[in-house]
Amino acid sequence: MKKGMIKATGPFERVVHWCVALSCLLLCFTGMGMMYHSLNGLGTMVGGMGNLKMIHNFGGIFFAISLVFTIGMWWKEAGLFSFPEDWQWIIAGGGYLWHVENMPEVGKYNPGQKMFFLVVALFGAIMVASGLIIWFPFSFAVSLVRMMYVLHALGFVIIFAFFFVHLYLVTIGAPGSAPAMFTGWVTKAWVKKQHPKWLKEMEEDGTLVVYGEEKHSKKGRC
Amino acid sequence: MKISRRRFLSMSGAIGSGVALSSLGLDLTALKAHAAEINKTDLIRMAKQSTTICCYCSVGCSLICSTDKMTGKIFNIEGDPDHPINEGSLCAKGAGLFGITEANEHRLRKVLYRAPKSDKWEEKDWEWTFKRIARLIKDTRDADFITHNDKGELVNRVESIGHYGSSNINSEECWTLTLSARSMGLVYLDHQARVCHSPSVAALAESFGRGSMTNNFTDLKNSNCILIMGSNCAENHPIAFKWILRAKDRGAKIIHVDPRYTRTSARCDIHVPLRSGTDIAFLGGMIKHIIDNNLIQEEYVKYYTNASQILSPGFDFKDGLFSGYDAEKRKYNKETWTIEKDEAGIPLRDYTLQNPRCVYQMLKKHYERYTLDKVSSITGVSKEDLLLVYNEYGATGAKDKAGAECYALGWTQHTVGTQNIRTMSIIQLLLGNIGVCGGGIAAMRGEPNVQGSTDHAILYNILPGYLKMPSGPVDTLDKYIKKYTSTSTDPQSANWYQNYPKYTVSFLKAMWGDKATAENEFGYSWLPKMDDGKHYSMLHLIDKMYAGKIKGFFAYGSNVAVSSPHTNKVRKGLEKLKWMVNVNIFNNETASFWKGPGMNPKSVDTEVFMLPAAASMEKEGSQSNSGRWVQWRYQAASPPGDALSDGDITMRIMDALRELYKKEGGAFPEQILNLKWDYRDASGKFDALKVAKQINGHYTQNLTITDPVTGAKEENKKGETVPTFAKLMADGSTSSGNWVMAGSFDQKGMNKMAKRGKEDPTGLGIFPEWSFAWPLNRRIIYNRASCDLNGKPYNPKMKLVEWTGDKWVGGDVVDGPWPPLADKEKGKFPFIMKSDGVGAMFGSGMAEGPFPEHYEPLEGPLAKNPISDQLINPAIEIFKSDIDKVANADPKFPYVCTTYSCTEHWCSGFTRWQPWLLEMMPEAYIEISDKLAASLKIKNAERVKVFSVRGEVTCVAMVTKRLKPFEVDGKVVHLVGMPCNYGWLLPDGATTDDSVNHLTISVGDANTFCPEYKACMVNVSKL
Amino acid sequence: MKKELVKLIDLSRCTACRGCQVACKQWNELPAKRTKNFGSYQNPPDLQWNTWTLIRFQEHEKKNGKVDWLFRKDGCMHCTDAACIKVCPTGALYHTEFGSVSMHADKCIGCKACITACPFSVPKYNAETNKIAKCDLCYTRLQVNQPPACVQSCPTGALQIGAKDAMIKKAYARAEQLGGDANVYGDKFVDGTHVIYILPEKVNVYEHLPVDPKVPLEIIIWKDVLKPAGLLAAGAVVAGCFLHYITHGPKTPDDETTCEGGNKS
Repeated sequence: MKKGMIKATGPFERVVHWCVALSCLLLCFTGMGMMYHSLNGLGTMVGGMGNLKMIHNFGGIFFAISLVFTIGMWWKEAGLFSFPEDWQWIIAGGGYLWHVENMPEVGKYNPGQKMFFLVVALFGAIMVASGLIIWFPFSFAVSLVRMMYVLHALGFVIIFAFFFVHLYLVTIGAPGSAPAMFTGWVTKAWVKKQHPKWLKEMEEDGTLVVYGEEKHSKKGRC
Repeated sequence: MKISRRRFLSMSGAIGSGVALSSLGLDLTALKAHAAEINKTDLIRMAKQSTTICCYCSVGCSLICSTDKMTGKIFNIEGDPDHPINEGSLCAKGAGLFGITEANEHRLRKVLYRAPKSDKWEEKDWEWTFKRIARLIKDTRDADFITHNDKGELVNRVESIGHYGSSNINSEECWTLTLSARSMGLVYLDHQARVCHSPSVAALAESFGRGSMTNNFTDLKNSNCILIMGSNCAENHPIAFKWILRAKDRGAKIIHVDPRYTRTSARCDIHVPLRSGTDIAFLGGMIKHIIDNNLIQEEYVKYYTNASQILSPGFDFKDGLFSGYDAEKRKYNKETWTIEKDEAGIPLRDYTLQNPRCVYQMLKKHYERYTLDKVSSITGVSKEDLLLVYNEYGATGAKDKAGAECYALGWTQHTVGTQNIRTMSIIQLLLGNIGVCGGGIAAMRGEPNVQGSTDHAILYNILPGYLKMPSGPVDTLDKYIKKYTSTSTDPQSANWYQNYPKYTVSFLKAMWGDKATAENEFGYSWLPKMDDGKHYSMLHLIDKMYAGKIKGFFAYGSNVAVSSPHTNKVRKGLEKLKWMVNVNIFNNETASFWKGPGMNPKSVDTEVFMLPAAASMEKEGSQSNSGRWVQWRYQAASPPGDALSDGDITMRIMDALRELYKKEGGAFPEQILNLKWDYRDASGKFDALKVAKQINGHYTQNLTITDPVTGAKEENKKGETVPTFAKLMADGSTSSGNWVMAGSFDQKGMNKMAKRGKEDPTGLGIFPEWSFAWPLNRRIIYNRASCDLNGKPYNPKMKLVEWTGDKWVGGDVVDGPWPPLADKEKGKFPFIMKSDGVGAMFGSGMAEGPFPEHYEPLEGPLAKNPISDQLINPAIEIFKSDIDKVANADPKFPYVCTTYSCTEHWCSGFTRWQPWLLEMMPEAYIEISDKLAASLKIKNAERVKVFSVRGEVTCVAMVTKRLKPFEVDGKVVHLVGMPCNYGWLLPDGATTDDSVNHLTISVGDANTFCPEYKACMVNVSKL
Repeated sequence: MKKELVKLIDLSRCTACRGCQVACKQWNELPAKRTKNFGSYQNPPDLQWNTWTLIRFQEHEKKNGKVDWLFRKDGCMHCTDAACIKVCPTGALYHTEFGSVSMHADKCIGCKACITACPFSVPKYNAETNKIAKCDLCYTRLQVNQPPACVQSCPTGALQIGAKDAMIKKAYARAEQLGGDANVYGDKFVDGTHVIYILPEKVNVYEHLPVDPKVPLEIIIWKDVLKPAGLLAAGAVVAGCFLHYITHGPKTPDDETTCEGGNKS
């Protein structure tokens, strides 16, 4: 680890993130294995479609638990928009789509990330609920179960699409982001570029943790 | 027997409707994908296939059993597409036949023995069992055998051993059973035919000469109008209903007259509900309607019935009673019930039918009282409905129209059972419907081989071939032959029963073999004999058992503790037995009576043997269907465990008994030891084919027979099978175990019962090459009556037989070779089994009168008979034990109860041991109209209690709109219905519900003692 | 070449003898379950994994006050546009060359989607095997030119099987012959079923028989809209990202990223 890197996430946060992320991916792929006959081969890889379904079902439970932690953990930071700057950011398309001169400064999570979180939280919950009903259809009215199939599929369409945006951004779309969820340490330049407001806040609050330096004392102690 | 050209389940037949699924044209991908799997059709192709005949009702459907050659086990049973009647189709029970194979865990596999006072079964081996049973029989027989009765007549019988059953074993087994019982000296010998179709035999024989269904199932399609009355055909003879629907397709009207709206009613054109027990009133009204409107087939009535005969002057009828009634004995002196004869002994006739004393005019007079109003008030049927049915059915009196009647237990199980059928016989004679295609009276029998078991006489009153059972006064063969040989001096009467001596002697030869000689009256004196005028029916047997006078009891494939009326009485009777031998394939309430409800095993001394029997597809032999088709069945698998066929069981019990008598002597050992008893194959097993040949008959010596017509001489060798009963002799030169079956083999010994020719050259459903039909492969009996006096068919489109001037030709075997009646010299009347050659409208053989008269059931809703002062049948025997209670017109029991079976179950319910069938009809129920249910506040599916003066049962209420209350004699009468298939045993443990026969009444038909299951009075309350 | 077959059920000929119900169990080796009498001749109360065909009994009071007893053989209709096949994730349910809907039991994963999808409530779940079960029109019998067990057993001709066109023709002829409210049920929806009824009464008279059966809208949205949409959306996003990358480029941190971040504060 280089000196001067900034601590972006804690280990717990990262674990939760990867739990949700991996289980979501697993669910996407096992789900696709069942949705698309051409992907039934995925079942063969795990010893049959029955196993695939089992993985999907129990993966779903894991996802559900992870999702609870995710929501609990990020609800305040990523679940609430702060106006007007978030609005401006959205109007500006986050600066991703065309050149924007004066981008509003972004805090720890930009509205795009917030939206992604909300989509994951909302549709994740929908997926869990509809999935459970589909899993145990006999306890419910047939018309309800049929609706759940629609929701489940709709949820997949959206989550799966968002997943690619997320993947793009954390890899080549916004280089330097990925380490936040691997090591937890990011470069200051990256933070400055992506989340300048957050950097400032941390600096003001004294919560900024820089690799190789003593932890800053809190503001009150200064 | 090997048969060639068996198609069976070739698994390559066409699918029907003209579709050829050419495998060449198919997309084979799916086939390839499954090529590796061996599916059931492959297994069937590799299996041993054998045909069997269904073991339920007596339509006689054929099934194919597929047996795994490696394991010897049956794995598939389905309908035989080649069979002319069922054509591969099956009802619920038939389709579930696999449920009685060894795959059923409830099958009995070991001999179970219950010691006196014991509360459990013990397993035993056969060796011990047969010895023990033989010992018990011998001890009982030796103690109670009587050579002479109170009057000092030679009787050679034992009265303390009874036998009941079995109509569901092969004919060859029936025959050996009947012989072994007689050889033991039993007179209390009876079986299900008693409670089922005994009135049919009495009524049809009285009317036409033979006691069996006149036509056959495939012939029903030729009918123009089918009256289903006294039958729930679609439910209880579902495959027969196939042929009724074919008639419907061809434009026939199908009428159902029944107290209940059933699955039959649902498919008929007309359903008319009538109060149970009022059939004679209904049909009496029809007779009046036919006569009043001159709907009769005139020529037929004049020449082929006794309508033209003149009655004796003493004959009279007044207020419900015929002349000669003895109220004390409840019996008629029939002296005045006679026909006037001329000096030559020929009946006097008035072919104009105008003589006021002729049968026709007397018949008209008798039924004048049966007006629409009167009939309607008795039956509860509206006048419109009466007229509707009368007109539809009456229309079949036209010469080229035929009406058929289908009945079953709805007619027989009444105190007037025989007369119900007699009334219809009169109608059929009036309309000229007997002997013709699409006509006749279909006595649809309920057990698979009840026709065969009746032919072979597991009945107290007859010997095989409907020969009379001798009684005390007839102590020599000469007297016997003199008494029962029919005589006629009328040159135009064939009087076939003049051959009675031939059949009697041939039977005795078959029974006793070489021991029967002219010197010893062919062993006639060894036969047990009844007391004159006394009866030994099931009802009498139970009565005697209840009185404690029966020590030993054989129950072969029967379940009296559920199936007999007044089961409380039956079960008390069973308690008093010393021993009981029960042969069955499943446990039943009779064998297990000692642990039944309310029983304390410790106080029951009866020694009980429950012997495991082979199921129908586990043995070879023949079975007669209701239409007299005697069909051969094959062994598809061995019986499970220690189970043996009934034939083997009978043989070995008798072996053990004979062994004891040989060793120890005892009471009249000749009766037992003289029996010819060698019907075994090389391995010592019961040999059905050998028995079948013995039944058919053979020449006991080289015999030259001269043809009476041509004078040609015919050489017959000793041992050759007789090809027809016409060859039987009265001098001991022939032997025949049952003359009606003579001809079931040809002279070379070919078994005609196994024939599988599917051809039907006339298209009339005759199928002459399929199996054998007695008599002499005749498919529609009395078929001479289908032609006019010159032998030309009344209906040329349905030509059964036709006289060409020198011989009869046609699709069926003519019922007697003589020229038609117009030939005054050689011509004969068509009903050749009757001494006067004609159908009997006036039937003097009946116990309660020559013309049927309406009487109320013994227990009914009315205190007075609306049509006369004679409330009940004056000739029925009334049992008087303390437990025989009757509650007629008693407000405590206001509802008429009728009992019946359903498609899914059979008789006393051995179907309860078959999960597929039990699943469909799981519990005892009572059908009750929505109106009655509402007044009793009973909701559908609620549990209720049903009680009569004799007992009570619980069950589920089935509230239905299909039952409607009747308006009878000005008051509303409700009818409820309950199935008879349930008892306290169920495979998954006991139930609190029990047999409906706790409610029914121990009384029988006046002629044959068929119990009145169809009408008793009950009350219903919510549980 | 496909040879489509149709099983024709003429309810005007059915006597409810239930030979078909048992013959089905016999051939397919389906066990019985213990039942209770619920105040009807009918049992079991509904189709079950071990009961692929069932006669339904129904008392029907006609306008003229007369009571009719209606019998209807219930079971798989073998739809052409079969919702069950549509939703089956594994291809366990499939159309045979006869047009019937059969099942590779080994492929079934017990997901129960077909149970939800079927407009006739036919497939039933067996918890012991974790598979669904339903009538396959006796596929192995059809392969060797034998009629299905139920058709073979039918005494009255209420059940027949034959080429689709011929059977439909027959059905209309029979309905016309019967007259009144008699009608043909099955050829007009889900692209035609391979089981066709001749109903003596109007469709709505029969209990548990949908008047207008179709693949449920939800199933169509799911399978015909969302299923392709899932791939399309994902594909579009990937394409969009690529387009973004090549047109707009990544959002990289400014040059100072090279400096040690911590030193500045």
